[in-house]
Amino acid sequence: MTRKIWRVGDLIRGVNELLSQGFSGIWVEGEVTNASQSSRGHLYFTLKDASSALDCVMWGSRARSLRFNVEDGLAVTAFGSLTVYPQRGRFQLVVDQIEPQGAGALQLAFEQLKAKLAAEGLFAPERKRPLPALPQRVGIVTSATGAALRDMLKIFRRVSHVHVILAHATVQGEGAAAEIARGIERLGSSGLVDVLIVGRGGGSLEDLWAFNEEVVARAIAASPVPVISGVGHEVDFTIADFVADVRAATPTHAAEIVTSRIEEQEGRLDDAEGRLGRALMRHVALARARLNGLEGSSGLARVPQRIRLARTRLRAADRLPGLIERLAERVRLRLEAAEGTLRRTPAKLAAGTQREFLNGRIHALELAMHRQTERAGARLGSSERALGHLNPRAILDRGYSITVREGETAPLKNAAGIGPGTVLVTTLARGQLRSVAAPAPHRTSSRTSGVPDQPRLFDDGEER
Amino acid sequence: MKEDTPSERFEEQLAKLESIVARLEDDSVGLEEALDLFEEGMKLARACRARLESVEKRIEKLLEEAGQDEPVTEPLDTGPDVAP
Repeated sequence: MTRKIWRVGDLIRGVNELLSQGFSGIWVEGEVTNASQSSRGHLYFTLKDASSALDCVMWGSRARSLRFNVEDGLAVTAFGSLTVYPQRGRFQLVVDQIEPQGAGALQLAFEQLKAKLAAEGLFAPERKRPLPALPQRVGIVTSATGAALRDMLKIFRRVSHVHVILAHATVQGEGAAAEIARGIERLGSSGLVDVLIVGRGGGSLEDLWAFNEEVVARAIAASPVPVISGVGHEVDFTIADFVADVRAATPTHAAEIVTSRIEEQEGRLDDAEGRLGRALMRHVALARARLNGLEGSSGLARVPQRIRLARTRLRAADRLPGLIERLAERVRLRLEAAEGTLRRTPAKLAAGTQREFLNGRIHALELAMHRQTERAGARLGSSERALGHLNPRAILDRGYSITVREGETAPLKNAAGIGPGTVLVTTLARGQLRSVAAPAPHRTSSRTSGVPDQPRLFDDGEER
Repeated sequence: MKEDTPSERFEEQLAKLESIVARLEDDSVGLEEALDLFEEGMKLARACRARLESVEKRIEKLLEEAGQDEPVTEPLDTGPDVAP
């Protein structure tokens, strides 16, 4: 009997031939152990059951398309071919495909990435950034042709002061995740937006898959501006939703979160402005009531006190007309602003119903402004009457007078600044005098001239 | 220290305006102070209004840069014919 002597290479080739006839394209199930990945992406692991172990390799070209991680302890079904690796003489399964048992591959991938990012703290509540108070510049990363964009723009068109910038990204299929991530990076770092919305309309788990990929999650986490996710429907949760600063149920909801924030601030400002005006009106009314009260309390007793009171009243009365005038001016300015808005608005808005709605609002505002102007006018009238009550008739009766520049109401207290030719109106106890200031006499004796100073009304020397 | 963004400044000014309004609504505030509060309030209200209305309604898209440093946008054409 002659010996059949094999060369090693021939033997392995022979065995591989036999193996390829009976053990090529087979499914094997088992639990993964000793999983590791080389720098070239090749995946090595051992499949085992209770008593046996099988070395497996999945070359990088195949392993890269795996959506989940092949980890120790995972129960899998692997598809491939048995071979002996010639250089080492090792018996192994070269794996083409691998499927997790139980959950589907996508579900498993989702759970694995979720666990990984959660462990890194990417979903932590303290990482969530609040939306800016006034998110008027809004970046959207979605498909330019998708229903999600159309739905969101419908919401944004209802708001007057918002600037929307779209970064188009394919939202499903090959390369979608990378495009979405790039859109987030570009818009987020552009300095053009206050907030980002990332999303797409509803679809299958496969359709929404890009939003479950790590590159998108990382881009959201790294965004310099807060990110709102709006992916699919209410019931769909993606990794993007967990990482985002705010999760919206749908793209429409994401847009509404932003617009309602803007409208809320508009409402706060409107409210504060209204209250500001009303509060001042009330103070003016209170001040008038106090003046009237002082007027009613006059008595003959304690004359020096009455003089002090009269002086206080005069000062307050001096102040009042100016105050009312300024108030009326404010109201007038706001009215003009409202009218300006009314004139500009129709040209800016395209939608007819929206224009009608706005016109209605502006009309209501106009009416309110007219009423406020009227009220301010009425207050001015009654304040003038209050001033009339305060008219220091008693003082005028004693020979004093009040001089004002023509057309003005503030009594003159200081001759400085009254140039020659200034027209003056002097109120006497009976009637008024209109006069023109003469040039000053030669500077010999402006103070010690023969004309005696009018005796001072008050003796505290207070002069302003 | 980090500089306030315009949005943060808006929020600050609005909050300050609201506290001024609350103070002005107190009847015990004197007329002089009321006038000062009103003027300060008007100033803040005007600043807030200007900030709010400084953003005009625009819908744009970000263009792929071709070597530019600055991001470039152009108006987004959104007819009713957007695919569902």
